[in-house]
Amino acid sequence: MRFMVIVHATRDTEAGVMPGEELLEAMGKYNAELVKAGVMLDGAGLQPSSKGARVHFSGDRTRVVDGPFTETKELIAGYSVLQCNSREEAIEWVRRMPNPTGEEGIVEIRQLYELDDFGPSEAIETHFRGQDHAAAR
Amino acid sequence: MRFMVIVKATGEYGSPSPEELAEMGRYNEKLIEAGVMKGGEGLLPPSKGALVRFSKAGPTVVDGPFSETKELIGGFWILDVKSKEECLEWVKQIPFGEGEVEVRQIAEVEDFTRDEVSAPALDQEKAWRERGDWDQQIG
Repeated sequence: MRFMVIVHATRDTEAGVMPGEELLEAMGKYNAELVKAGVMLDGAGLQPSSKGARVHFSGDRTRVVDGPFTETKELIAGYSVLQCNSREEAIEWVRRMPNPTGEEGIVEIRQLYELDDFGPSEAIETHFRGQDHAAAR
Repeated sequence: MRFMVIVKATGEYGSPSPEELAEMGRYNEKLIEAGVMKGGEGLLPPSKGALVRFSKAGPTVVDGPFSETKELIGGFWILDVKSKEECLEWVKQIPFGEGEVEVRQIAEVEDFTRDEVSAPALDQEKAWRERGDWDQQIG
């Protein structure tokens, strides 16, 4: 099963502050462990929300609002996708993560849908085939 | 440039219906044909997840669902496009009748300041990515 590990934003990540030497080194070591264990499938950091936008949907209409967005703790600063045998294993990996901010930080762990989570149907087959196809490119 | 397109959800939500998935499948096919789709996933409801809170005292784990978090993630796409405007054009075509989607630019290795402190970490990251996706270099 796969889990998405979501690092929530802080004032520093939203301000575009680079992590310090100590954290960079600790993160590098931690990521190397994840890769070596075959757990790390993907990961990325996001630019501050000032470079982003939100799109609101209402019926046939859409409305675009440019960033930045103020509710810092609810924003995402980065994510990784981990392949684990259980939720507990995912939690153990996250507990060992170097404290991303040095102070207060929140990391969310969420399970990803897999093909097996749905009943058999044509729509599901097409949907997941599309995802595999995209991943293969 | 790559963008993470984040589908917002509120509270505890259910699985998508077969009809919703079929419609989304057609939209995804368009993204794939245009060569912009680099990934996409759906997340199970928060009750299947957990929060890890870090502080100076160390990490503490709270099981889902999360009552204090108003905005949750229901799923996401990773799109590779030429500009934020192109990304927004694709996002506006998502078959949603309501709700909110957030568009965020992904930080590439080249976006970081390169100095003697950051260089080793950036080189390592680049090497992992150049060997294909993170997972492919393990097998």
